[in-house]
Amino acid sequence: EHKMSIEEVCRKYNTDCVQGLTHSKAQEILARDGPNALTPPPTTPEWVKFCRQLFGGFSILLWIGAILCFLAYGIQAGTEDEPSNDNLYLGIVLAAVVIITGCFSYYQEAKSSKIMESFKNMVPQQALVIREGEKMQVNAEEVVVGDLVEVKGGDRVPADLRIISAHGCKVDNSSLTGESEPQTRSPDCTHDNPLETRNITFFSTNCVEGTARGVVIATGDRTVMGRIATLASGLEVGKTPIAVEIEHFIQLITGVAVFLGISFFILSLILGYTWLEAVIFLIGIIVANVPEGLLATVTVCLTLTAKRMARKNCLVKNLEAVETLGSTSTICSDKTGTLTQNRMTVAHMWFDNQIHEADTTEDQSGGFGVFWMIPVGILGCKSQILGLFPQRDVAGDASESALLKCIELSSGSVKVMRERNKKVAEIPFNSTNKYQLSIHETEDPNDNRYLLVMKGAPERILDRCSTILLQGKEQPLDEEMKEAFQNAYLELGGLGERVLGESVGDFGEFGGILGEFWGVWERIWAADNLCFVGLMSMIDPPRAAVPDAVGKCRSAGIKVIMVTGDHPITAKAIAKGVGIISEGNETVEDIAARLNIPVSQVNPRDAKACVIHGTDLKDMSSEQIDEILQNHTEIVFARTSPQQKLIIVEGCQRQVGDTPKSALGPQNCPWDPRNLHPADMILLDDNFASIVTGVGEGRLIFDNLKKSIAYTLTSNIPEITPFLLFIMANIPLPLGTITILCIDLGTDMVPAISLAYEAAESDIMKRQPRNPRSDKLVNERLISMAYGQIGMIQALGGFFAYFVILAENGFLPSCLVGIRLRWDDRTINDLEDSYGQQWVRLGRPQKWGSSKKWGSRKMGIPKNGENKILIFGLFEETALAAFLSYCPGMDVALRMYPLK
Amino acid sequence: GLILLFYLVFYGFLAALFTFTMWVMLQTLSSDIPKYRDRISSPGLMISPKPDTALEFYFNRSDSQSYAEYVATLQNFLESYNDSKQSQNIDCTRGKIFDQNDAAVKKACRFNLSELGQCSGKEDTNFGYSKGTPCVLVKMNRVIGLKPEGEPHIQCTPKEEGMVQINYFPPDGAMDLMYFPYYGKSLHAHYLQPLVAVQLAITPNGTKEEIAIECKILGSPNLKNQDDRDKFLGRIAFKVQMIE
Repeated sequence: EHKMSIEEVCRKYNTDCVQGLTHSKAQEILARDGPNALTPPPTTPEWVKFCRQLFGGFSILLWIGAILCFLAYGIQAGTEDEPSNDNLYLGIVLAAVVIITGCFSYYQEAKSSKIMESFKNMVPQQALVIREGEKMQVNAEEVVVGDLVEVKGGDRVPADLRIISAHGCKVDNSSLTGESEPQTRSPDCTHDNPLETRNITFFSTNCVEGTARGVVIATGDRTVMGRIATLASGLEVGKTPIAVEIEHFIQLITGVAVFLGISFFILSLILGYTWLEAVIFLIGIIVANVPEGLLATVTVCLTLTAKRMARKNCLVKNLEAVETLGSTSTICSDKTGTLTQNRMTVAHMWFDNQIHEADTTEDQSGGFGVFWMIPVGILGCKSQILGLFPQRDVAGDASESALLKCIELSSGSVKVMRERNKKVAEIPFNSTNKYQLSIHETEDPNDNRYLLVMKGAPERILDRCSTILLQGKEQPLDEEMKEAFQNAYLELGGLGERVLGESVGDFGEFGGILGEFWGVWERIWAADNLCFVGLMSMIDPPRAAVPDAVGKCRSAGIKVIMVTGDHPITAKAIAKGVGIISEGNETVEDIAARLNIPVSQVNPRDAKACVIHGTDLKDMSSEQIDEILQNHTEIVFARTSPQQKLIIVEGCQRQVGDTPKSALGPQNCPWDPRNLHPADMILLDDNFASIVTGVGEGRLIFDNLKKSIAYTLTSNIPEITPFLLFIMANIPLPLGTITILCIDLGTDMVPAISLAYEAAESDIMKRQPRNPRSDKLVNERLISMAYGQIGMIQALGGFFAYFVILAENGFLPSCLVGIRLRWDDRTINDLEDSYGQQWVRLGRPQKWGSSKKWGSRKMGIPKNGENKILIFGLFEETALAAFLSYCPGMDVALRMYPLK
Repeated sequence: GLILLFYLVFYGFLAALFTFTMWVMLQTLSSDIPKYRDRISSPGLMISPKPDTALEFYFNRSDSQSYAEYVATLQNFLESYNDSKQSQNIDCTRGKIFDQNDAAVKKACRFNLSELGQCSGKEDTNFGYSKGTPCVLVKMNRVIGLKPEGEPHIQCTPKEEGMVQINYFPPDGAMDLMYFPYYGKSLHAHYLQPLVAVQLAITPNGTKEEIAIECKILGSPNLKNQDDRDKFLGRIAFKVQMIE
C-alpha cells in the first residue's frame, strides 16, 4: 500500500480522500471486520484459575495433610475393629478448609478482576475520524479500514495509517521497533519495506508532534502491531513487589512446616511411636504451622485498599500494584496539568517597551481591555488570529486557549475575526521549531496580499524580525530594543511564565491560487523581516494542593523530579513555586551569581538543586545523567522533548539498580494519561496530590499487611508448642488439630482483616521509602517479634491456662509429664490423678482448646484502641470462641470445654 | 549480641513469670481435694488383671506361661490387701456409709481377702486359670466424696448363654457401703477400695470360643451405668478366650 499513490489507496478502500467514508459504509465495514482492537491474549481459563487457587501455596500442604488423614483412617479402619473417626473427620475438615478458602480467594480475585475490567472501559481511546466530510470523535475501537483519521502530537495512532498529508509529523515507533528516536512521517513513499517507509504509521505507536491525516489500511489484529502481539502474547508479566514478598513468605513458612514436620516425624519414630502415630503428628505440625486464613486475609486487605484508592481517584488495575506505589522512591512528574492547573492564563504583556499586567483572575475585562484595545488594537487583532486553530475550541492547547480567552474578553468574538481573516496555510507548533506560523487573508477583500503571523518562543521569533511595533508604528529593531526585549523576556520568564513572541509580516501576493502557494512553501520556512509586535506571558498557576503534596513527598523521602518542555527559567520558577526546589536551595547558576564567579568554577556538588536544559541532556552520556540524578536532590529538567522524558525515567530506574544503598525504590512515572496503557495504576484526575495519596495508601497497606501477618503468625507458636511438648514431654495433647483450624479460620480471620482498617501511623509519610531488596514484608524482626516474643507469651499464657485447668480438676503438673501413653490408652480406665481419684478415659479433661484461645486472646489486644473494626473483630472473636467453648454439643465435636 | 541478650533476659523474665504464676496457682489449690470435681461425678468400672493391649484375655489353661502375667498382676494387686498391710484398718459397720467428715485422721475400713473366696489367691495361687475357672477382679474407680445410694452390686452377663458360669465373691457381687466415701490420697492414706471377684467357670461349650462379658454396677440410683458415649461409666466389657 505504501507504494501506491494516495488516490489508488483511496480507491482500493472505496473511500474519499477528503470526505472519508459514509456512516453507513463505516458501519458495514465495522460489522465485517469487527472492532479495531487486539484480541486480548488468551486468558487463563476460569477453571485453571480456580485450580490454581485450590492447589497453590499452602493449599498443597493442607491437601497432603488431608490425604495423610484419609490414609491413616483407612489403615486404622483396616486393622482395628473400632477405629476412631478422628482422622476421618480431620481429613474431611482439612479438605473442606482448602476448598472453602480456595473458593473464597477465587471469588475475591474474580470480583477484583471484574472491577479492573470496568476500569479499563472507563478510559477508552478516542480517535478523530472524518466521515462524510465531518470530523468526529469516535472510540478507537470503531475505526474501520478506509476511515480518514487525523492524528496530532500526543495522540496514539488508532490503526495502521497510510499518510495522505502531514505537517511536521513525527511518530515514536519505540513500541514497535524499539527505536526511541522519533521519525518523521510524510505522504511520500521512501522505502520498499513497509516498516521503514515514511508514509505509514502504525497502530499503538505514538504521534510525538505535528499533525497528520491518513487512510486506515488495517485495523485490529491485522495491523503490524497486531501480528506481532499475537506472536508475543505468551510473554510473562513481571511480578509486583508484593507478589514477590508473599511468595517469599509462603516459601519460608512451607519450608519451616515441612522441616519441622519431617524432623518430628523422624524423631517420633526414634522415640518409639508407631509410624501411624508419627503420621498423625506430622499432620498436626503441618496444620499448626500453616496460617490457613492468611492468603484470604491478604486478598481482602488488598481489595479494601484498592477500593479506598479508587475513591481517591486512583484506579488500580492489578491488586498487587496497590503496594507498589508505596515503595516509590522517585516521582518524575510532568509539570503541565499535574503540578499546575493546565489552565493557562495571560498574566503579562510586553509591548511599546512596557510590561503590562493582566489579572490572572476571571475579572480581567475592565482595566485590561482598555489598554489592550486602544494603543495596540492591531496586536489584539493579530494575536487573535494567531490563536486560531481550526477544530480547536478554547478547550484545546492550554496556551492558545489562554490567548483566546483573553481576547474574547478584550475584543469580542473570535469567530467574527476568524471569518474576516481566513487562514490559508499554517505550520503547526512543534518542539523543534518552537513556533507556529500561519498565513491569512487580509480583512480587505480587495487586498490580495497575505498576512503572515507567527508566534512561539520569543528568541526564535525575534530572529526572524527586523522591525518592531512601537506606538502603532513599525520601527527598526536596533540593539537597544533587542536589549529591552531581552530584559523583558527574562523578567517575565523569571516569574515562571510562559512567554510567547509575536510578529506579523507582509507575505506578499500569491495571486490567491492555492496550488501556487504550495510551491512557495520554501518561502514560508524562510520567512523573515517580520515585524515584532510584542511579548505575552502566560502562567499556568500551580494547583493548590501541590506544594503541600510535594512537601509530603519530600518528608517521605521521595525525590520529585520535574520534567517539562518549558524554558529553564519558567521551569525553575514553577519548581520553586510548588516546592520542588525548596527555599534556600541554590542551583549552580545561583551560586555563581551570588559569588560572582563563572559557572564553571562552581563545584556542582555544592548545589543541591539543578535545572537541566534539554539540549544539554541531549549531549549527556548515561553516566553523566546518573551522576546528576545521584548528586542532586532537587532536579528540574527543562525544554525536554517527549523522548528525553523516557531517557530520564530510564536514568531513574538505573539509579535503583546501581545504588541499593541509597534506598531507592521502583519508579512510578504517572505523568501522562496516554502513556498509561501498560501501567497498573491510573490517576483519574491527573493531580499530583493524588499520587501522594496513593503513596500514602501504598505504604499504609504494607504496614497493615505486616500487622495482619504478624497477628496471624503469633498463633503459630501457641499452636505448635503443644505438639512439641506432647511428643517430647509426653503430656496430654493440649490443642487438637481441628481446634487449630477453628482458631486459624474462625476466630483469627476477622481481627486479622480488621487490621487492614488500621489508621496510618503519624510518621507514615515521614519515613524513607522502603527498599525492596532489604525491607521484606516478612523479615527477621517480624518473625522474631511474632514467634519469639508475642508467640511465646501467648504460648505460655495458653500453657498456664492448660495447667490450671488440669490441676484444678485433679491432675497436678508434676503428674502430667510422661502420662501421655496411659492417658491416651483407650483400655486404661482407672487413670489415677494426683488426689488418688481414678478416671475413665472419656471423662478425662481433654484438649483444652478454649483455654489456649482465651490465653492467646488476652495478648492479642493491640495498643491502638481506636480502630472500630478491630474492636468489632475482637468482639467477634471472643463471641465465636465463647460459642465454640460453651455451645452444647461442641464438646463432642471438638472436645473443647469451657473454662470456669 | 544485643538481641541474644534481649532474648535471654526476655525468656528469663517469661520463665520467671510463668513459674511464679504457676506457683501462685498451686498455692490456691488444696492438697486434699481438687478444686473442681464435677467432671468426675460418676465412677467407672475397671478390671484387674488388665491385659496389655486390649481388654481381651487369651490363655491356654495347660500352659502356665500363657497366664503367668495375669496371675502375677493379681498377686501384685492383692498385695496391699494382705492382713499384714491392714493392721491399722478398722472393722466398720457393714451396710452403712462410713462418714468421718469431722475426724482429722480418716480411718480406712478393712477389706478381708477371705471375702474373695476362691479368687483370693490363698487356696489357688493360680486364681483358677489352670482349672478353667479364671478370676477377674472388678473394681470401681475411686472418686472423692462419692456416696453410693441403695445397695450397689456388680453383675456380669455373657453375651451368649451356655458358655460360662459366673460366680461372685462376695456373694451377689455386693459392694459394701462402709467403704464410702473416699477422702483423697493425702487424708485417706490407707484406704482400700472394695473389690468384687468374678469367677468365670468356662463350660466345655465355651472352650476355644471368644466369650464377651459385660459387667455393670447395679442397685444404686446415683451410679450411672448406661452412658451412651462413655462405655466405661459404671460398666466394663471384656473378652475371654481359653484353649486347652
